[in-house]
Parts: sequence; structure tokens; C-alpha cells
Amino acid sequence: MHGLFRWSSKWWPGVIPLVAFWVIAAWTSTEPMEADLAGRSLAALRGSVLDKTQITVAGRDVSLSAEAFSEDGRKGALAAVGAVPGVRLVNDETRLVPEAKPFVWSAERDVARVTLGGSAPLPQSKSKLVEAARAAINGVEVVDQMALARGAPPRFEAAALLLLDQVGKLKDGKVTLSDDTVSLSGMARDLGGREAIAAALKNLPENFKVAANDIQAPPYIFQAYKDPVAATLTLSGYVPDNTVHAAIAQAAERKFFGEKVVDNLKASVGAPSGFSAAVTTALGALSRLSTGTLAVSDREVKLSGDALYDGAAAQIRAGLGKEFPQGFQFKPEISVKPAAAPVDPTVCQQLFSDLLSKGKIRFEAARATLDPDSTALLDRLIEIALRCPTANIEVAGHTDGDGEDALNQALSEKRAQAVVDYLVKAGLPQSRFTAVGYGSTQPVAGNDTDEGKAQNRRIEFLVR
Amino acid sequence: MKMAYLVMFHWGWLLASLLLGLAMGWIAVVHRGPGVSKVTARWLALLVAVLIALAAAKIVPGRFGYWLDLGLILFGCYLVGCAIGSWLRDWVVTHPRPQPTA
Repeated sequence: MHGLFRWSSKWWPGVIPLVAFWVIAAWTSTEPMEADLAGRSLAALRGSVLDKTQITVAGRDVSLSAEAFSEDGRKGALAAVGAVPGVRLVNDETRLVPEAKPFVWSAERDVARVTLGGSAPLPQSKSKLVEAARAAINGVEVVDQMALARGAPPRFEAAALLLLDQVGKLKDGKVTLSDDTVSLSGMARDLGGREAIAAALKNLPENFKVAANDIQAPPYIFQAYKDPVAATLTLSGYVPDNTVHAAIAQAAERKFFGEKVVDNLKASVGAPSGFSAAVTTALGALSRLSTGTLAVSDREVKLSGDALYDGAAAQIRAGLGKEFPQGFQFKPEISVKPAAAPVDPTVCQQLFSDLLSKGKIRFEAARATLDPDSTALLDRLIEIALRCPTANIEVAGHTDGDGEDALNQALSEKRAQAVVDYLVKAGLPQSRFTAVGYGSTQPVAGNDTDEGKAQNRRIEFLVR
Repeated sequence: MKMAYLVMFHWGWLLASLLLGLAMGWIAVVHRGPGVSKVTARWLALLVAVLIALAAAKIVPGRFGYWLDLGLILFGCYLVGCAIGSWLRDWVVTHPRPQPTA
């Protein structure tokens, strides 16, 4: 051992080349080693969720600058870099992502693009939202203006994804999520878009609530045009479903006895409530016009055209408003068709017969109450009666052969009287009309078939 | 662990230092030139101790810290090489091979 001390006093000359080694080693190895450590540190951070990560290495000391999304994530990242072999010290330049209060996220759609704005909680959710926006709104540019922030409400991502789906149903508009409240505005692309969005919003995670849903939808339109020249009734626009479609088509057939119904209706969701009742009522009013247009737009019913005589115009203007379901607005623009030239009583008789061969005055079964669907026909009969003011007219009621003669006789008289009452109410002088009942004594067809019976049940107008 | 990385990264230089030490130690046993005086040796030992303490405490920052570590580890290898070299030479000198008899 003593020898070792003695010899060591002579070891110093070797230190001179050793220093040369040292200088050369430091000169050549520093930068490659720093690069190696930087690469390993970045690899170690691959599992951590960080934003704006920057690593600088000086010697064996790593400076980590990044924004973390939680305190645990921050510490975890520091520990991960510290555990990299070769790293001597980690300089902590990390901080937490700023917290947004309130946490606002929005998606705005216009014709050309979808703009995602506000805050997203994590880089993954940010890219997921951009992806979802691309998927929901095909072929439209997606502009990502989202910043990262802490403080998102729980289940933010599920809510935002659901809202993005709704943005896909908009033509333009904006969806905003502020903490746990959702507000929507804009115009839906399709007729039923507003309803579809409202239904989808029910699936929001339960900690979210809808503060304002101001989505508008294109108006729900139903139109009918009565053309007396072509003798057609053209229906166009929308109906909610096939059942309502069939009901409306049937009502049109009943109310318009002389016109061919041209049905161009399409089925679509989004009808206002009470749509079917409103349209049926409005068609009844249209049927009384000589020519007219009915336009139902959402809850606004516009009816314009010519009534056959003053009384009818007044009835349509005044009466119909009350028959519409709640919430509907009736805007009649009814004028009166100029009175036709007076004619001889014989011509009148011809006109009556022609008209009654096309349509029949109907009553409720076994009763003397006029069916409202016959109003249009009665209006036409009144118009004819007005053209021959001097003629006296017998209104004759007939029944089929079913039932007792006495009852049939009474029923035919009452029905004839009901028609006369209607004519008088419309402003014709009582003195011109006589109501006569013939029971089943004057059949025009056999009473052994349903068709024959239906022909026998009739009202005739006879000029005397 | 940390040392292992340095050794792996610089094994070539460390080996060179070790060989340098070995050679210097080999020569030192029979060298007749002036040695380092005891007082100087103590001061040098103190200097090295201070440098080791600085490195262990990781006080020197960045690249200088790294160069200090590198220098110390090279110096350590050199000393080990010297010790082995001197000891080997001493062993060879004190145990001469029996001369083959003519």
C-alpha cells in the first residue's frame, strides 16, 4: 500500500494527455448526447397528455416546458422525464392549462363552413370534435378555432358530439354550450328539422339542460287551388303522414262534388298540431268559393277567392275563424262573384237538374240535419235561384223504400224543409219556396240494391 | 443508473483513459524524475474531493455540470489504470523470472 502512495506521486504526467482526452470528448460528445437525451425524453412523454410540449437539453439537464391538464398529469410528466436514463436534473417549466369559467364551446354553421370555437378540455377531444364535425356535415369546410382549457363539465364530449349532430341538421345557425346549458339558434334544413332536433336534445347527458332552443324551420305549407274552368282542385304541399293524407283526400272528394281532385301532396314531418282539422275546415270554406286559393303556412290560413253571393261571403269571413283549432290564424280575402245574368225559369230548371245530377244534397243518416259537406252544393243552388227571381220553386224530398211509409213521409218532409230553411237563411224570400215530402212513393231506381236506394234518397228542385 | 448511461455513451474514452493510466502506472514504478510533493498532493486531493462533492450535489448547471462529471469519470478511470499498472510493474520487478541456467 505504501508503494502505491509512492508511485502515485509520479502519475501526474499522464494527466496532461488525459486533459486532452477530456477536452476532445467534451467537444465531440456534448451535442450528440443532448440530442439523444431529448429524443428519449420525448419518447417518455408519449403517454402523457400535454399541450405545447417543448424540451431543451443542456448537458444532462432537461428543461421541460408544457401545459398540463391536471396536477397529476403535470407531476407524472416530470417524473417520466426524470426517469429517463442519463438525465441528471429536470427543470420544471410546466404549468396547468388555464381554466375557463364559464366553459364555453360553440359550433357555428353558415353556408360555406362550420366553425368550432370556444374551449375543448383535451387535445384528443378537440380532434375528435373536428372529426365528428366533418362526419356530421359532409363536404363542408371545418374551421377549428377551439382553445384548450380546463373546467369542462362532466360528459362534455358526449354532449358536444350530440350537438354537432344537430348542427348537421341546420342550414345555418349556432349551437353554444356554456357550462351545462345549451342554446341553439338558426334555421333547420328540412321541414321536420326543428322537431328532430328537439327530440335529439332529450338524449343529452342528464347534467345538461337546454336554455334556449330558437331553431326555426321552413314553413309547413299546404296549398289548394280551385279552378272552375278546368274543374279541378289541385292539392299541393305537405301532409304529416299517409293517414292524414287519405283523410284529407277523402274530405276533398266529399266537399268538391264537381271538381276532379289533383293530389300532389307529399308526406313530411313538422306539421303544426291541429293541422288536419284546420285543413279540413279550410277546404270546406274553399269548396264554397267559385274560384279560390287556400294557402296554409304553419299556423296561418289564407283563403282568397270569390264567394257565390253576399251571404256566403259573410259566413265564410265570420264563421270560419271560430272553427279552426287553437293557435291558427284565419285570414280570409273573400270577394263576391258578380251576379250572373237573370234567366228564364225554364233555364233555371235546367240548371238545377244539371247540378243535382252531379252532386247530391246529403243529410246525416235517418235525420233531417244537412251534412256540412253539402254546403258548396247548396251555395250553387242558391246562386241559380238568384238568377230567376220570379220563379217559384218546389223543393221535393224523397226517401228510399226502407222503413215505414209514415216515417219516410215525415223524414222526406223534414229534409225538404231543412233545405228551404237554409235557402231562406241565405236571404231568399220564403214565399218562393214550398217544401214537399213524397216519402218513398216516387222511386227513380229499384229499392233492392244499395245503389238504387242511394239514388232514391234525394232532394229535387222543381220550378213551378 | 445515471452512471451506467455515461459509461455506455463514453466507453471508448473511458477505455482510453484506463489504458493511459495503465501505461503511466507501468512507467511510474521505475521513473526517476521528480514526484509531486506531499503538500501539493494533499491540496490536489482536496481539490478533487471538492469537485466530486460539487458533482454529487448537482450544483454546477447545464453543460458545465456535464463536463465536470465527464472529467471526473475520466480521471477516475485514469487513476484505476495507474494503480493497476504500477502494481503489475511492481509485481514483475519484485518477482523476477528465474534466469535460465546456461
